[in-house]
Amino acid sequence: MDHDPFRWGRPNDATYGGYNTKIAHANPQAGNAAMPTMNTQQPIVTGTSVIAMKFKDGIVIAADNLGSYGALARFDDVERLFPVGENTVVGISGDISDLQYISRLLEDLEIDNNYDYDGHSLRAPHIHEYLQKVFYARRSKMDPLWNSTIVGGFDDEGKPFLKYVDLLGVKYSAPTLATGFGAYLASPILRKVIFEEKDVEKVDEETARNAIKECMKVLYYRDARSLDKYSMITITKEKGVVFEKNLRSENQSWRFAKDIKGYGTQKV
Amino acid sequence: MRSRRRNTNLSLIKVEYALEAIKQGSAVVGLTTKTHAVLVALKRNAEELGSYQKKIIKVDEHLGIALAGLAPDARVLSNYLREQALNQKMVFNRPLSTEKASILLADKAQKNTQSYGGRPYGVGLLIIGYDETGAHLFEFQPSGSSLEYVGAAIGARSQAGRTYLERTFEEYANATKEELIVHGLNALRDTLAQDKELTKLNTSIAVVGKDTEFTLYDDDDVQQWLDRLDSVANNRRGAAAGNDDDDDEDENNDEGDEKKDDAAASAEEEGVKDEDKMETDE
Amino acid sequence: MVRVNKPYHVSLAEFLLQMLQVLGVGVHDDGERGRTSVGTGYDLSNSVFSPDGRNFQVEYAAKAVENGSTSLAIKTPTGVVFAVEKIITSKLLVPNKNNRIQTIGRSIGAVYSGLLPDGRHLVSRARDEFNSYRGQYKEDITVPYLIDRLGNYVQAYTCYNSVRPFGITSIIGGVDGEGSHLYMLEPSGVYWGYKGAAAGKGRQSAKNELEKLKYDELTSKDAIKEAARIIYLAHEDNKDKDFEIEISWVDTVETKGLHQFVPEDLLAEAKAYAQDKLNEDEDEDEEDDEDEDMDN
Repeated sequence: MDHDPFRWGRPNDATYGGYNTKIAHANPQAGNAAMPTMNTQQPIVTGTSVIAMKFKDGIVIAADNLGSYGALARFDDVERLFPVGENTVVGISGDISDLQYISRLLEDLEIDNNYDYDGHSLRAPHIHEYLQKVFYARRSKMDPLWNSTIVGGFDDEGKPFLKYVDLLGVKYSAPTLATGFGAYLASPILRKVIFEEKDVEKVDEETARNAIKECMKVLYYRDARSLDKYSMITITKEKGVVFEKNLRSENQSWRFAKDIKGYGTQKV
Repeated sequence: MRSRRRNTNLSLIKVEYALEAIKQGSAVVGLTTKTHAVLVALKRNAEELGSYQKKIIKVDEHLGIALAGLAPDARVLSNYLREQALNQKMVFNRPLSTEKASILLADKAQKNTQSYGGRPYGVGLLIIGYDETGAHLFEFQPSGSSLEYVGAAIGARSQAGRTYLERTFEEYANATKEELIVHGLNALRDTLAQDKELTKLNTSIAVVGKDTEFTLYDDDDVQQWLDRLDSVANNRRGAAAGNDDDDDEDENNDEGDEKKDDAAASAEEEGVKDEDKMETDE
Repeated sequence: MVRVNKPYHVSLAEFLLQMLQVLGVGVHDDGERGRTSVGTGYDLSNSVFSPDGRNFQVEYAAKAVENGSTSLAIKTPTGVVFAVEKIITSKLLVPNKNNRIQTIGRSIGAVYSGLLPDGRHLVSRARDEFNSYRGQYKEDITVPYLIDRLGNYVQAYTCYNSVRPFGITSIIGGVDGEGSHLYMLEPSGVYWGYKGAAAGKGRQSAKNELEKLKYDELTSKDAIKEAARIIYLAHEDNKDKDFEIEISWVDTVETKGLHQFVPEDLLAEAKAYAQDKLNEDEDEDEEDDEDEDMDN
C-alpha cells in the first residue's frame, strides 16, 4: 500500500502511469508541478449543529461554543452566531476558518450598508440572498466555503424569516431548521412544536425558547462533537436582538447512557 | 471680467462645457408626491422625416431617468444604472434605492472632473424612483453633484418650468398621480418657445409610484394627458418672454449644435435664474 | 514646459464661479490680491512651481474652499461632534435630505467645505483605505494612520499634470482604541490635529468661538449645543441665505463608539440653544439691527 497521504485513493502509477498535469492544466501557476491545485477537501476545525425556529413574534436560534479538531474538543469558546444589522442573525456550522471569513464578509456588508442614509436597511432576506451567492460562486470555483448556515430575522412584510443555505449554495426555508447532526436529532423534536407554517402563529416566545433549549440538551447527549455550553439569540420586533452567551444545558440526566450498547469495551 | 483670484486647470474647464451641453438639450421636468414621481419631457426631431429623440429611459421596474444634453452619454449612464440595479437584484434580491442610484452616478461623474483624459459627461439627468422610503426625484449634473428635489427642471428654457414648480410645489405632497402629471405638463409647457406647443409626438411622460411600475407614455398614449390641460401652448408667452421671438422651423436634436438665438435665450434665462435665486433665498 | 493658453485662462474664473454655484457653494468676491506670477501661465498647471516657489493650483483649490459653506468639528475627551451649515440654494430641494456629513467605517466621521463632489471622492477613498486595512490586519484602522494615508493621497493630486488638486478642506475625526481624534486636511495634503476645527466661509468667526471652549471639560452633549451655536453665529457672515444645520457625533459612551447623526430631540435642543444665544448676543449689542428670523 502506498502510504503517501497525497496518493490515497488515486490510481496506481504502476498500472495507469503518472498523473499528466499537462492534460489537466490544473495549476498554471505551479508550472510543471507534480500535483494539480487542491482546494479545500474537508473542513479542519469544525462547529456542529445550528438549530432555529420561528415563533409568532420572531425567531430563536442557538449554536454551541465548541470548535472540534476532528474528534478532539479543541476550543470551547467559539461564537457561531452573528448578529448583522438591526434585526438579523446568521448561525454558522462547519469549518471555523471559513466561518471567520464569512463573519468578516458580513461585517463589511453591514459597514457598507450603513454608509447610505437612504433608510433602506439590510434585512434577513437580503443577507440570505447574498450568502447564497457567495457560497454558490465559491462552489462553482471548486473551492467551497465549508459551512451550513441559517439566517434568521424578518422578511420585507415584517414576518419572521428563517432560511438555510450551505456550501453548495442550496437554500430552503422552513418554520424550524437545523444544520448538521441537528437535522437528524433536533428537527423531529422541533417539528412536534411547529409542524408547518400555519403553526407558527400558535407558538409564543417562551415555548420556542424552551423547545430550542431542550434540543440543545438532546444534541449534547447524542452528538459526540457537541458541548453543553452554547449561545442563543432571540429576535423580536419589540426587543430587537437579545444575545445570550455562555448558556448551559440544565438538568442533564445521563441515565439513558447505560442502555446504549454496541461500542467500546462493553459486552453486547 | 478677469479674476485673479479664481482659476483652475484644464480638466475642470471641460466641465463648464458639459454644463452648457445640458442647456442645449430640450427641457425635462420632474416632480414628486409622497407616493408618486413623474417625468415629463419635450422631444425634438432633427428633421421632419426623422424620429424624435428619446428623452426618458427606464432603468428598472421602479426606476427611470430623463435626460437633457448628449443622449449617447445618457445611454452610457443608464446602462450603468441598469447594471447596478440588476446586480442589486441578483446579489441581494432587492431593488436599487433611488438615492443609491443617484449617488452612484454622481461618484462616477466626479472622476471625470478631476483627471486629465476623457471628458465629463455632457448630460444632466432627472432620476425618479419609488422604493421602500417612498417616491424620490434627484437631479444629476456632470460636475458630480446629485441632489434630491421635490420638483426640478433642466434643459433649454428650463427656468420657466422651474418658476412654475416653485410657485406650485406645495400642492404636490397630497396630489394624485393624475394631478402631478398635469402639473408636470404645465411646467413643461411654460418652457416652450413661442410658436411651439405640446403634441402627442413631442411629449413624453413617465410615472412611477405606489402600485405603479415605471410606465412610459409616448405618442398616442400621451393624448389622454394632453387633453387634461387647459392649453397646450405656452400661455405666459409675451409676458415674460416678450423678446423671445425665435421662430426656427426645425429644432435641433439633442446632440446637434443649438441655434444661436436659442442658446442666447437660454443664456439669458440663466441670468434670470440667479436673480430668482436671490429672491427665493431670503 | 509651461503651457499658456490665454483663451482658456479667461474662461477659467467664470467656470469655477459656475462650478461653485452648481455645487451650491456661495460665492463672493473678496477683492483682488496682487500676485506677481498670476496670469503668467505658472498657475495653469499642477506640478509647475512659479519662480517664487508657489504651486498656484493648490492655492486656487484652497480659495475654492474658503467660499464653501461652513463646516466644523469639536473634539471632546470621549468623542467628536461634527456640524455643517447647509445653504439652501433652492426651495425645491427636499428639506433635511442631501446629507453632507459622511461616515468612514463605523467610528469615523467626515465633513468638508468646498467642491462637494471632491469630498465624496475623498470619503470614498477613505472607505477603501478602511476596508483594505481591515482586510489585511482584521482590525479597524486608527484615525491617525487613516489621516496620514489620506494626506498622502491628497498630496499626490498636487503633483501631476494629469490631475487637479482636491477642492476641499475636510475635517475628519473619530474614536479608536487610543481615544478621540480630530484632524483637518487641506488641498495641499497637509493636515494637523485639532481640538476644534472649522473650514469654509465662516471659519474665522467659528475659530474665534472654538478657541473659547474648554475642551478638557466638554461633554459630547454640550459640544453638540456649542457646535450648533457656532454654526448659527458663523452664518451671520452669510445672513441673506436660508440654511439648514446638520450635526453628527461619535462618542465612546453616548453612541457606543458609532458615528451617527444626533437624535431629533438633541438637535432641536441644540438649535433652540443656538437661537437663544444668538438673540442674547444681539440684545447685548443693543444695536437695532433687524432680527433675522432663521428658524428652519
